[in-house]
Order: sequence, then C-alpha cells, then structure tokens
Amino acid sequence: MSEELELTQDMKDAIDREGDPVLYEVTTLGIRTFARAVGYTNEIYYDEDVAKAGGHPTLPSPPGYLGMPIWDPNKAPSRQPTFNSPFTRNLNGGTQVQPIEQVYAGDILSAVSRITNLTMSPSRSFGKMLIRESETVYTRQSDGKVVAKTQGQGISY
Amino acid sequence: MVEAQNWNAVIEGQEFILTEEMDSQRLVVWAAASGDFYQIHYDDDFAKGNNLPDIIVHGALKGMLVGRLLDEICGTEGRIKNWGVSYRGMDPARHDLTIHATVTKKYEEDGEKLLDLEVGVKQDDGSTETTPGTATVALPA
Repeated sequence: MSEELELTQDMKDAIDREGDPVLYEVTTLGIRTFARAVGYTNEIYYDEDVAKAGGHPTLPSPPGYLGMPIWDPNKAPSRQPTFNSPFTRNLNGGTQVQPIEQVYAGDILSAVSRITNLTMSPSRSFGKMLIRESETVYTRQSDGKVVAKTQGQGISY
Repeated sequence: MVEAQNWNAVIEGQEFILTEEMDSQRLVVWAAASGDFYQIHYDDDFAKGNNLPDIIVHGALKGMLVGRLLDEICGTEGRIKNWGVSYRGMDPARHDLTIHATVTKKYEEDGEKLLDLEVGVKQDDGSTETTPGTATVALPA
C-alpha cells in the first residue's frame, strides 16, 4: 500500500517551482461586482466620493479581492507548475488569505504561484487522493509592494 | 450588517453572525466577479447530470463571505491580519447560509490589539458546518 501512495518523480520536481507571473487587473467595475456578489453595503466599495472622503485615493478593494486575470484569447496560457496526474477530478479544499497592503482600483498585480507541497493519501471515499498545497504572492506593479499572499489546497481523485 | 467593534468591548466567546440568501442570481453575479464559470454553480441540468441535488454555492464565495463578516467587525479602523477556511461540504443553492465568527482569544502582541476567531459557514438547518476556519483581526482600542 505504501508504494502506491508515493509521489512520482515528476510530482516531486513540481514542488517549489514557480510559475510565470499572471497579471491581475483591479478595476472599479470589478470591485463593485465583487462587493455586490459578497453583499457589502459599505459605500466605500461603490462610490468614489465616499471612498475619497474616507481617506482613500479611489475605490479600495474589499478583503480578498485581488482583481481578475487579464483575459486574451489570442495569447497562450501562462506556464504554471504542473505534473502528470493519474487523477481527473478536482476539488477545492480550502483557501487562506493574508492581506498585506490595501489594493485599489487601477492597480495591476503580478501573481506568482508555486506548489508548496504534494501528499498522496488514502481516502475512504476515493481510494486514494492527491492533496496539493500552493501559495500565490501578489505584487503591485506600480510600487513593487507585495499586497497579499494566498494559500490554497486542492484535492485530486 | 455587523457593527464595527472596539477591542476593549469585545469578550472571548462573543459571536457575530450574518445570514445570506443564496439564490441563483447571486451565484451568477459571483461567477462574473470571480471568473469561476463552472456550470455546477448555475446550470440546473449540468448540476443534476453530475449527481448533485441542485446547483451549489461556490466555495470561494463562502470564503469571501467570511472575509466580509471580518471586514464589518474591523470597520474602518481595524484590519484583517489573515483568515482561512476549509471546504468540507457542498451547500446547495436556494437556501440561506449563516456566516459566523466567534472570538476564541483576545490578546495584545507587538503593540496590536488582536482577536483570534473561529469562523465558518452553516447551512440553514443551523447544524451543518461546511466551511470551518480561523482568523485573526486587529481592532482599535
């Protein structure tokens, strides 16, 4: 049983390898749409005058909103750490967010992700499963500051 | 909406709660906000074809609802240090969700007045916890 639960060399090689940076755009529309979906009623996330009266230069981003990847159907997807997996189904296992600096509309964030750990485990439901832990660091392009870090867990089975 | 809190007035064991309606329109707005267009969240036939009882609430939306509760607790003068949740169960749409946070530790560290909290999301039967987690916030005194 223990041999079946070992990681392949391909999997081990993927750990700690950084992917290409992905650009995330933070816009007033994106902030308002996120705030609406999550149910915020605080006007600083909708009205620029209220945001400025509260000491912000423009709309601040609600906690956890780090913009949207810039989508271009004519560009190849960025290269991300990957490996050959025997599994075809994936579940989102969890998310951690560490806000570091306030993000604002107009910011462009560069996100770099890496797999921090892979674990093959027995599963009562799936036989066995692969738990993938990852971290993404978001850096604001205009001043080079790291504005947030997120960690995620994915489960493949 | 939860009122912004003052560290001096908060006690360990204090609980904060939001109740949120999760209809299909809300999940579509979240799909637009997040870019998660997986059909199990808005296409009834697709969801049922994948052996789900109904379309289901996005895990990330539940995590961000916890973030909103913490943001409201912090108000304009407080700050979220971190929060995290695990997605332990699926929540079918068209039911209310209860987003909750309970103060587990009140302390000072490096000049900051902090709270540790247990957070999570429960289904409308009040007992099924699908999204447990923890958080730390800094509040004004």
